Amino acid sequence: MTALPVSVITGFLGSGKTTLLSRLLRDPAFARTAVIINEFGAVGLDHLLVESSDEQILMLEGGCVCCTVRGDLVRTAGDLLARRAAGAITPFERIVVETTGLAEPAPIVHALMTDRDIADALRLESVIATVDAATGAATLDAHPESVKQAALADCIVVTKSDLADPAANGLAARLQALNPGAPKLTAVRGAVDASRLFQGTYDPARYDPALYEAPAHRHGSISTFCLRRDKPLHAATLSLFLQVVAEHCGAKLLRLKGLVDVVESPGRPAVIHGVQHVFHPPAWLDGWPDNDRSTRIVVISQGLDARWLQDLLEVLEEEVNACSIS
Amino acid sequence: MASVLSGALRLWNVAGTITISGSGLELTHADAAIQDLTPLRIMPRTPHGWLIVRGAETLGVHAGLPGLLRQLREELAPNVKAGRLIIGAQSLL
Repeated sequence: MTALPVSVITGFLGSGKTTLLSRLLRDPAFARTAVIINEFGAVGLDHLLVESSDEQILMLEGGCVCCTVRGDLVRTAGDLLARRAAGAITPFERIVVETTGLAEPAPIVHALMTDRDIADALRLESVIATVDAATGAATLDAHPESVKQAALADCIVVTKSDLADPAANGLAARLQALNPGAPKLTAVRGAVDASRLFQGTYDPARYDPALYEAPAHRHGSISTFCLRRDKPLHAATLSLFLQVVAEHCGAKLLRLKGLVDVVESPGRPAVIHGVQHVFHPPAWLDGWPDNDRSTRIVVISQGLDARWLQDLLEVLEEEVNACSIS
Repeated sequence: MASVLSGALRLWNVAGTITISGSGLELTHADAAIQDLTPLRIMPRTPHGWLIVRGAETLGVHAGLPGLLRQLREELAPNVKAGRLIIGAQSLL
Protein backbone atom coordinates (compact mmCIF):
# COMPACT_ATOMS: atom_id res chain seq x y z
CA MET A 1 0.00 0.00 0.00
CA THR A 2 1.36 3.42 -0.96
CA ALA A 3 1.27 5.86 1.93
CA LEU A 4 -0.72 9.00 1.28
CA PRO A 5 0.97 12.32 1.97
CA VAL A 6 -0.39 14.32 4.89
CA SER A 7 0.60 17.92 5.51
CA VAL A 8 -0.07 20.26 8.38
CA ILE A 9 -0.87 23.95 7.90
CA THR A 10 -0.19 25.85 11.06
CA GLY A 11 0.18 29.52 11.87
CA PHE A 12 -1.06 32.01 14.39
CA LEU A 13 -4.62 33.34 14.59
CA GLY A 14 -5.45 35.42 11.56
CA SER A 15 -2.24 34.64 9.73
CA GLY A 16 -4.01 33.39 6.63
CA LYS A 17 -4.16 29.61 6.97
CA THR A 18 -7.71 29.29 5.70
CA THR A 19 -7.14 31.73 2.85
CA LEU A 20 -4.07 29.78 1.79
CA LEU A 21 -5.96 26.51 1.99
CA SER A 22 -8.94 27.84 0.09
CA ARG A 23 -6.73 29.13 -2.69
CA LEU A 24 -4.81 25.89 -2.77
CA LEU A 25 -7.92 23.80 -3.22
CA ARG A 26 -8.91 25.88 -6.23
CA ASP A 27 -5.69 24.81 -7.94
CA PRO A 28 -6.60 21.79 -10.11
CA ALA A 29 -3.35 20.11 -9.08
CA PHE A 30 -4.52 20.04 -5.47
CA ALA A 31 -8.23 19.55 -5.97
CA ARG A 32 -8.07 15.96 -4.80
CA THR A 33 -7.18 16.95 -1.28
CA ALA A 34 -9.05 15.97 1.85
CA VAL A 35 -9.02 18.62 4.53
CA ILE A 36 -9.32 18.34 8.28
CA ILE A 37 -9.92 21.72 9.88
CA ASN A 38 -9.55 22.24 13.61
CA GLU A 39 -11.24 25.25 15.15
CA PHE A 40 -11.05 26.18 18.77
CA GLY A 41 -14.45 27.84 19.00
CA ALA A 42 -17.62 25.97 19.81
CA VAL A 43 -18.97 26.66 16.33
CA GLY A 44 -16.57 26.22 13.46
CA LEU A 45 -16.64 28.72 10.63
CA ASP A 46 -13.45 28.14 8.71
CA HIS A 47 -14.84 25.25 6.71
CA LEU A 48 -17.49 27.61 5.32
CA LEU A 49 -14.73 29.74 3.90
CA VAL A 50 -13.00 26.89 2.15
CA GLU A 51 -14.40 26.20 -1.27
CA SER A 52 -14.35 22.51 -1.89
CA SER A 53 -16.68 19.55 -1.89
CA ASP A 54 -18.19 19.16 1.56
CA GLU A 55 -17.52 15.46 1.71
CA GLN A 56 -13.79 16.05 1.84
CA ILE A 57 -13.76 18.70 4.53
CA LEU A 58 -14.06 17.52 8.09
CA MET A 59 -14.21 19.68 11.17
CA LEU A 60 -12.66 19.07 14.53
CA GLU A 61 -14.41 21.41 16.91
CA GLY A 62 -14.54 22.11 20.59
CA GLY A 63 -10.86 21.91 21.35
CA CYS A 64 -7.37 22.30 20.06
CA VAL A 65 -5.91 19.49 18.00
CA CYS A 66 -2.56 19.66 19.77
CA CYS A 67 -4.13 18.85 23.13
CA THR A 68 -7.76 17.97 23.69
CA VAL A 69 -8.85 16.59 20.33
CA ARG A 70 -5.70 14.78 19.21
CA GLY A 71 -7.57 11.48 19.38
CA ASP A 72 -10.27 12.99 17.21
CA LEU A 73 -7.68 13.87 14.60
CA VAL A 74 -6.49 10.28 14.45
CA ARG A 75 -10.04 8.96 14.27
CA THR A 76 -11.01 11.46 11.60
CA ALA A 77 -7.97 10.66 9.48
CA GLY A 78 -8.65 6.95 9.93
CA ASP A 79 -12.27 7.46 8.94
CA LEU A 80 -11.25 9.37 5.82
CA LEU A 81 -8.90 6.58 4.81
CA ALA A 82 -11.57 3.94 5.40
CA ARG A 83 -14.14 5.84 3.34
CA ARG A 84 -11.62 6.32 0.57
CA ALA A 85 -10.77 2.61 0.57
CA ALA A 86 -14.47 1.74 0.43
CA GLY A 87 -15.05 4.08 -2.50
CA ALA A 88 -17.51 6.12 -0.45
CA ILE A 89 -15.83 9.43 -1.29
CA THR A 90 -13.83 10.87 -4.12
CA PRO A 91 -10.41 9.23 -3.93
CA PHE A 92 -8.29 12.05 -2.56
CA GLU A 93 -4.54 12.03 -3.04
CA ARG A 94 -3.46 14.06 -0.05
CA ILE A 95 -4.68 15.10 3.38
CA VAL A 96 -4.12 18.58 4.76
CA VAL A 97 -4.70 19.30 8.43
CA GLU A 98 -5.32 22.93 9.31
CA THR A 99 -4.60 23.54 12.97
CA THR A 100 -5.99 26.18 15.27
CA GLY A 101 -3.97 29.34 15.51
CA LEU A 102 -2.88 28.45 19.00
CA ALA A 103 -1.75 24.90 18.30
CA GLU A 104 1.76 23.65 18.79
CA PRO A 105 2.53 21.54 15.76
CA ALA A 106 4.73 18.94 17.48
CA PRO A 107 1.98 16.87 19.14
CA ILE A 108 0.03 16.82 15.89
CA VAL A 109 3.06 15.62 13.97
CA HIS A 110 3.67 13.00 16.65
CA ALA A 111 0.13 11.70 16.30
CA LEU A 112 0.40 11.49 12.53
CA MET A 113 3.80 9.79 12.70
CA THR A 114 3.15 7.25 15.38
CA ASP A 115 -0.50 6.35 15.81
CA ARG A 116 -0.73 2.73 14.81
CA ASP A 117 -4.13 3.13 13.17
CA ILE A 118 -2.97 5.65 10.59
CA ALA A 119 0.82 5.89 10.57
CA ASP A 120 1.27 3.05 8.09
CA ALA A 121 -1.20 4.57 5.67
CA LEU A 122 0.07 8.13 5.82
CA ARG A 123 3.38 9.82 5.14
CA LEU A 124 4.14 13.13 6.75
CA GLU A 125 4.82 15.38 3.81
CA SER A 126 5.25 18.90 5.06
CA VAL A 127 4.59 21.26 7.94
CA ILE A 128 3.66 24.66 6.54
CA ALA A 129 3.52 27.73 8.75
CA THR A 130 1.80 30.94 7.77
CA VAL A 131 3.12 34.21 9.18
CA ASP A 132 1.38 37.55 8.69
CA ALA A 133 3.73 40.05 7.03
CA ALA A 134 2.16 42.96 8.86
CA THR A 135 1.68 41.57 12.36
CA GLY A 136 4.04 38.60 12.34
CA ALA A 137 6.92 40.30 14.15
CA ALA A 138 4.71 41.43 17.01
CA THR A 139 3.12 38.01 17.17
CA LEU A 140 6.53 36.35 17.43
CA ASP A 141 7.30 38.68 20.33
CA ALA A 142 4.09 38.05 22.18
CA HIS A 143 3.12 34.45 21.51
CA PRO A 144 5.57 31.57 21.97
CA GLU A 145 3.21 29.29 20.05
CA SER A 146 3.87 31.31 16.90
CA VAL A 147 7.63 30.95 17.37
CA LYS A 148 7.34 27.18 17.62
CA GLN A 149 5.06 27.07 14.59
CA ALA A 150 7.65 28.86 12.46
CA ALA A 151 10.60 26.98 13.95
CA LEU A 152 9.10 23.57 13.24
CA ALA A 153 7.96 24.30 9.71
CA ASP A 154 9.35 22.74 6.58
CA CYS A 155 8.09 25.75 4.69
CA ILE A 156 7.09 29.24 5.84
CA VAL A 157 4.53 31.25 3.92
CA VAL A 158 4.59 34.97 4.63
CA THR A 159 1.05 36.10 3.97
CA LYS A 160 -0.45 39.52 3.27
CA SER A 161 2.75 40.69 1.68
CA ASP A 162 0.70 43.30 -0.15
CA LEU A 163 0.13 44.99 3.22
CA ALA A 164 3.68 45.05 4.52
CA ASP A 165 7.18 44.34 3.32
CA PRO A 166 8.64 41.55 5.48
CA ALA A 167 12.17 42.57 4.50
CA ALA A 168 11.64 46.17 5.52
CA ASN A 169 10.02 45.47 8.87
CA GLY A 170 12.58 42.89 9.90
CA LEU A 171 10.27 39.89 9.81
CA ALA A 172 12.18 38.19 7.00
CA ALA A 173 15.44 38.35 8.95
CA ARG A 174 13.78 37.00 12.07
CA LEU A 175 12.26 34.07 10.24
CA GLN A 176 15.60 33.34 8.63
CA ALA A 177 17.26 33.29 12.05
CA LEU A 178 14.53 31.11 13.46
CA ASN A 179 14.44 28.52 10.72
CA PRO A 180 17.26 29.03 8.19
CA GLY A 181 16.58 25.86 6.25
CA ALA A 182 12.91 26.39 5.53
CA PRO A 183 12.02 27.99 2.21
CA LYS A 184 10.19 31.29 2.70
CA LEU A 185 7.41 31.93 0.25
CA THR A 186 5.29 35.02 0.02
CA ALA A 187 1.58 35.01 -0.59
CA VAL A 188 -0.90 37.66 -1.58
CA ARG A 189 -4.49 36.67 -0.77
CA GLY A 190 -3.39 33.08 -0.50
CA ALA A 191 -1.73 32.94 -3.91
CA VAL A 192 1.54 31.09 -3.68
CA ASP A 193 3.61 28.70 -5.74
CA ALA A 194 1.81 25.63 -4.46
CA SER A 195 4.32 23.20 -5.93
CA ARG A 196 6.90 24.50 -3.43
CA LEU A 197 4.68 23.93 -0.43
CA PHE A 198 4.78 20.17 -0.49
CA GLN A 199 8.41 19.30 -1.04
CA GLY A 200 8.61 16.86 1.81
CA THR A 201 10.52 16.81 5.06
CA TYR A 202 13.74 15.77 3.36
CA ASP A 203 15.32 18.40 1.17
CA PRO A 204 19.09 18.23 0.59
CA ALA A 205 19.26 22.01 0.34
CA ARG A 206 18.39 22.32 4.01
CA TYR A 207 21.65 20.64 5.02
CA ASP A 208 23.83 23.33 3.55
CA PRO A 209 26.11 24.16 6.51
CA ALA A 210 26.42 27.74 5.29
CA LEU A 211 22.88 28.28 6.48
CA TYR A 212 23.92 27.52 10.04
CA GLU A 213 27.34 29.06 10.34
CA ALA A 214 28.38 29.76 13.91
CA PRO A 215 27.45 31.46 16.06
CA ALA A 216 24.16 29.67 16.29
CA HIS A 217 21.19 31.58 15.02
CA ARG A 218 19.11 32.83 17.90
CA HIS A 219 15.58 34.02 18.17
CA GLY A 220 14.77 34.63 21.79
CA SER A 221 15.11 31.31 23.51
CA ILE A 222 15.13 29.38 20.23
CA SER A 223 18.40 28.65 18.52
CA THR A 224 19.31 26.83 15.36
CA PHE A 225 22.69 25.28 14.76
CA CYS A 226 24.42 22.56 12.80
CA LEU A 227 26.61 19.84 14.29
CA ARG A 228 29.32 18.70 11.93
CA ARG A 229 31.69 15.77 11.85
CA ASP A 230 34.18 14.91 9.16
CA LYS A 231 34.76 11.29 10.17
CA PRO A 232 32.00 8.71 9.88
CA LEU A 233 30.04 7.62 12.93
CA HIS A 234 29.19 4.09 13.94
CA ALA A 235 25.52 3.23 13.58
CA ALA A 236 25.46 2.39 17.30
CA THR A 237 26.68 5.90 18.10
CA LEU A 238 23.87 7.43 16.10
CA SER A 239 21.33 5.25 17.88
CA LEU A 240 22.75 6.08 21.33
CA PHE A 241 22.94 9.78 20.49
CA LEU A 242 19.29 9.91 19.54
CA GLN A 243 18.34 7.96 22.67
CA VAL A 244 20.26 10.30 24.96
CA VAL A 245 18.89 13.39 23.26
CA ALA A 246 15.33 12.10 23.45
CA GLU A 247 15.75 11.08 27.09
CA HIS A 248 17.36 14.22 28.43
CA CYS A 249 16.44 17.07 26.15
CA GLY A 250 12.70 16.57 26.14
CA ALA A 251 10.69 19.44 24.75
CA LYS A 252 13.81 21.60 24.50
CA LEU A 253 14.54 19.78 21.27
CA LEU A 254 12.10 21.15 18.74
CA ARG A 255 13.46 19.51 15.66
CA LEU A 256 16.51 17.54 14.58
CA LYS A 257 17.36 16.53 11.06
CA GLY A 258 20.55 15.35 9.57
CA LEU A 259 22.63 13.64 6.97
CA VAL A 260 24.93 11.16 8.69
CA ASP A 261 28.01 9.43 7.35
CA VAL A 262 27.76 5.97 8.90
CA VAL A 263 30.80 3.66 9.17
CA GLU A 264 28.77 0.60 8.24
CA SER A 265 27.25 2.25 5.17
CA PRO A 266 30.03 3.89 3.20
CA GLY A 267 28.81 6.20 0.48
CA ARG A 268 25.19 5.82 1.53
CA PRO A 269 24.39 8.45 4.14
CA ALA A 270 21.53 8.11 6.58
CA VAL A 271 18.84 10.75 6.73
CA ILE A 272 17.47 11.30 10.20
CA HIS A 273 14.53 13.43 11.15
CA GLY A 274 12.72 13.94 14.41
CA VAL A 275 10.29 16.28 16.10
CA GLN A 276 11.12 16.41 19.80
CA HIS A 277 11.51 12.76 20.85
CA VAL A 278 9.67 11.20 17.90
CA PHE A 279 11.73 10.19 14.88
CA HIS A 280 11.17 8.67 11.51
CA PRO A 281 13.11 5.45 10.94
CA PRO A 282 16.46 6.46 9.41
CA ALA A 283 16.34 6.46 5.62
CA TRP A 284 19.33 5.60 3.46
CA LEU A 285 20.29 7.54 0.38
CA ASP A 286 21.95 5.87 -2.59
CA GLY A 287 24.63 8.53 -2.51
CA TRP A 288 25.53 11.93 -1.15
CA PRO A 289 23.38 14.75 -2.48
CA ASP A 290 26.37 17.10 -2.87
CA ASN A 291 30.15 17.17 -2.65
CA ASP A 292 30.15 17.60 1.12
CA ARG A 293 30.68 14.17 2.69
CA SER A 294 30.56 15.30 6.30
CA THR A 295 27.87 14.47 8.83
CA ARG A 296 25.54 17.44 9.27
CA ILE A 297 22.92 17.44 11.99
CA VAL A 298 20.66 20.49 12.12
CA VAL A 299 19.10 21.21 15.50
CA ILE A 300 16.31 23.66 16.25
CA SER A 301 16.01 23.91 20.00
CA GLN A 302 14.82 25.91 22.92
CA GLY A 303 17.85 26.30 25.13
CA LEU A 304 20.08 23.42 24.07
CA ASP A 305 23.80 24.02 23.88
CA ALA A 306 25.41 23.24 20.53
CA ARG A 307 28.75 22.51 22.17
CA TRP A 308 27.15 20.04 24.58
CA LEU A 309 25.49 18.11 21.78
CA GLN A 310 28.72 18.08 19.77
CA ASP A 311 30.70 16.83 22.79
CA LEU A 312 28.04 14.22 23.50
CA LEU A 313 28.35 12.91 19.97
CA GLU A 314 32.13 12.73 20.23
CA VAL A 315 32.16 10.95 23.62
CA LEU A 316 29.59 8.41 22.47
CA GLU A 317 31.62 7.70 19.34
CA GLU A 318 34.76 7.30 21.44
CA GLU A 319 32.99 4.78 23.64
CA VAL A 320 31.53 2.81 20.75
CA ASN A 321 34.88 2.87 18.99
CA ALA A 322 36.62 1.57 22.12
CA CYS A 323 34.10 -1.26 22.42
CA SER A 324 34.46 -2.23 18.78
CA ILE A 325 38.26 -2.31 19.03
CA SER A 326 38.52 -4.22 22.32
CA MET B 1 33.57 13.88 29.24
CA ALA B 2 33.70 16.66 31.83
CA SER B 3 31.98 19.07 29.48
CA VAL B 4 29.24 16.55 28.73
CA LEU B 5 28.54 16.09 32.44
CA SER B 6 28.67 19.83 33.09
CA GLY B 7 26.22 20.39 30.27
CA ALA B 8 23.96 17.69 31.63
CA LEU B 9 23.84 19.42 35.01
CA ARG B 10 22.79 22.64 33.30
CA LEU B 11 20.18 20.76 31.32
CA TRP B 12 18.69 19.38 34.54
CA ASN B 13 19.03 22.71 36.36
CA VAL B 14 21.31 21.14 38.95
CA ALA B 15 23.74 23.50 40.64
CA GLY B 16 27.02 21.66 40.57
CA THR B 17 30.55 21.51 39.27
CA ILE B 18 32.66 18.86 37.60
CA THR B 19 36.36 18.69 38.36
CA ILE B 20 39.00 16.29 37.17
CA SER B 21 40.13 14.09 40.05
CA GLY B 22 42.85 11.54 39.41
CA SER B 23 41.73 9.26 36.62
CA GLY B 24 38.11 10.21 37.06
CA LEU B 25 35.81 13.13 37.69
CA GLU B 26 34.30 14.56 40.83
CA LEU B 27 30.82 15.98 40.81
CA THR B 28 30.06 18.42 43.57
CA HIS B 29 26.48 19.57 43.80
CA ALA B 30 24.56 21.88 46.04
CA ASP B 31 20.98 21.16 45.24
CA ALA B 32 18.88 21.78 48.33
CA ALA B 33 16.47 19.04 47.29
CA ILE B 34 19.20 16.39 47.54
CA GLN B 35 19.90 15.49 51.15
CA ASP B 36 23.23 13.78 50.71
CA LEU B 37 25.64 16.37 49.33
CA THR B 38 28.66 14.08 49.39
CA PRO B 39 30.45 14.55 46.06
CA LEU B 40 30.00 11.82 43.51
CA ARG B 41 33.03 10.36 41.83
CA ILE B 42 32.75 9.17 38.25
CA MET B 43 35.47 6.59 37.77
CA PRO B 44 36.47 4.89 34.52
CA ARG B 45 35.96 1.17 34.59
CA THR B 46 38.18 -1.41 32.89
CA PRO B 47 37.97 -2.33 30.05
CA HIS B 48 35.30 0.30 29.44
CA GLY B 49 32.42 1.93 31.18
CA TRP B 50 31.93 3.98 34.31
CA LEU B 51 31.45 3.62 38.05
CA ILE B 52 29.51 6.09 40.18
CA VAL B 53 30.87 6.21 43.72
CA ARG B 54 29.65 8.17 46.72
CA GLY B 55 32.10 7.96 49.63
CA ALA B 56 32.91 4.26 49.87
CA GLU B 57 29.68 3.13 48.25
CA THR B 58 29.41 2.19 44.59
CA LEU B 59 26.09 3.52 43.38
CA GLY B 60 26.20 2.20 39.87
CA VAL B 61 28.20 0.47 37.16
CA HIS B 62 27.56 1.47 33.57
CA ALA B 63 28.82 0.21 30.25
CA GLY B 64 28.66 3.67 28.74
CA LEU B 65 27.57 7.26 28.89
CA PRO B 66 23.80 6.73 28.37
CA GLY B 67 23.44 4.66 31.52
CA LEU B 68 25.72 6.97 33.46
CA LEU B 69 23.68 10.03 32.51
CA ARG B 70 20.44 8.26 33.37
CA GLN B 71 21.57 7.37 36.88
CA LEU B 72 23.03 10.81 37.51
CA ARG B 73 19.75 12.39 36.52
CA GLU B 74 17.85 10.02 38.79
CA GLU B 75 20.22 10.81 41.67
CA LEU B 76 20.47 14.55 41.20
CA ALA B 77 17.31 15.59 39.44
CA PRO B 78 14.66 13.02 40.20
CA ASN B 79 11.90 15.44 39.29
CA VAL B 80 13.15 15.99 35.77
CA LYS B 81 10.93 14.01 33.46
CA ALA B 82 12.75 11.56 31.23
CA GLY B 83 11.82 11.38 27.59
CA ARG B 84 11.75 8.22 25.55
CA LEU B 85 12.86 7.84 21.97
CA ILE B 86 9.99 6.85 19.71
CA ILE B 87 10.63 5.70 16.18
CA GLY B 88 7.51 6.17 14.10
CA ALA B 89 6.35 3.79 11.41
CA GLN B 90 6.50 6.20 8.51
CA SER B 91 9.27 6.18 6.00
CA LEU B 92 10.94 9.54 5.62
CA LEU B 93 11.59 9.35 1.88
